[in-house]
Amino acid sequence: MRRVQIMLLIAALALTGGGYLALTAPLDDLQGEFTAMLYIHVPTLWLAFLAFGITALGSIMYLIGKKPRWDRAAEASAEIGVLFAVVGVFTGMVWGQAVWGQAWDWGDARLATTAVMIFVYIGYLALRRAIPDPDVRARRSAILGTIAVIQVPLVYFSVNLFRTLHQTQSIRPDGSTMDPAMVVALVVNVVAFTILFAALFMGRTYVARLEAARATETAPAGESVSPPRLKEIEDV
Amino acid sequence: MSLWKQSTEVMRVDLVVEQRIGDTFRIVLPFAVVALMIFSLATPASVSDVGDVGTAVFWGIAILYGMQVALRTSMSETEQRKDIAILLGLDPAARFLGRSMAAALLLTGFMAVLFVAMVILFSPDLPGGWAWPTGLAILLAAVGLAMLATLAGEVASGLRNRSALASLLIAPLAIPLVIGASQVLESMAGDDGILIWILLLITTDLALLVAGVGLSRPLEEASR
Repeated sequence: MRRVQIMLLIAALALTGGGYLALTAPLDDLQGEFTAMLYIHVPTLWLAFLAFGITALGSIMYLIGKKPRWDRAAEASAEIGVLFAVVGVFTGMVWGQAVWGQAWDWGDARLATTAVMIFVYIGYLALRRAIPDPDVRARRSAILGTIAVIQVPLVYFSVNLFRTLHQTQSIRPDGSTMDPAMVVALVVNVVAFTILFAALFMGRTYVARLEAARATETAPAGESVSPPRLKEIEDV
Repeated sequence: MSLWKQSTEVMRVDLVVEQRIGDTFRIVLPFAVVALMIFSLATPASVSDVGDVGTAVFWGIAILYGMQVALRTSMSETEQRKDIAILLGLDPAARFLGRSMAAALLLTGFMAVLFVAMVILFSPDLPGGWAWPTGLAILLAAVGLAMLATLAGEVASGLRNRSALASLLIAPLAIPLVIGASQVLESMAGDDGILIWILLLITTDLALLVAGVGLSRPLEEASR
């Protein structure tokens, strides 16, 4: 738990630095002060992609080795991924309202596919909640976690497949269309949010370990009756 | 017995069961046609031509009602039947393939009839030479949806809320299929190429095929 607290502290410092760079970076001529949304919107959605990638990796590794830690990693990553994706979509809506004049457009492929991606992982989490047995839950959700990642490339490339409202990638292999100072601020914020993701991931997997230990303790007789602890037996 | 032979045998059994029960064409299809009629009646007067939304409504209803068709077998399968399949030494991959092929065949027929119903009810302005590309889009979407539903049905099998849960799992994952299939006619109407959408459908189908066959054994273990 101590490591999680240290990571959260580092994340807070990094986010403060990232926030400072975001507020002092040059503004886009057309978007004005709303350019600052870039430094939250892009990192959170990038990390949602990363989180869902880790869910797929954890799922595949669980199917191969049947190690519970991979299942816990997949679950933690999916939960945090949904959180980051919701934050990313929300900031995108605020940004869209300010710049496009509308928060949501169903005709836009990036918005629609991102919303759908969130529902895929809400389904993944709903499946986990529906299965009480930890082994069955781990096996079934690993299969879904492996398949669900199919949505991620579709979301990423949707701006290239469809020419709709959302812009295409600003940083491409052939160079960037952004001011170098904006790129630096964006990279710092991506790193800061990644540290936050790592801290949340460590915290969530820690909680998952505690949940697993507790489930093992009370499993034979359910929640109402607990088996005697060693200390209680010694006391008698 | 080869994998292909086992798969066709599973498909044959599923189709025989469907022939006896007749869920797809006697219950789900009329229900889907009624849904098409409700849409056409509920379309506001401000929409100048109801035909403009016909194909979009068709794909929405085809996917949502198609899920019922594709999930039907998985939802009704008993533990005993699964045990018999395992004791007989049936390859899990053959079970996945056979079940998906049967569902794909039913879905293709279901969607084809539903498309004809949509054309009659909505009178959409279809581009010239629409028949073959639309048929291909329906076939590829049906194959993908069948595999997706087979996977989701197995993942949710035996759970108390399996019907609702399986639908929640399939609907968002079917989006690449909906996009690919619906954009075929859209692109033809706009004189754009349809190859990219056909490739999207084929890629999604192949990804689901690889996932389904590759995960068939863990899926069999997980669904017990």
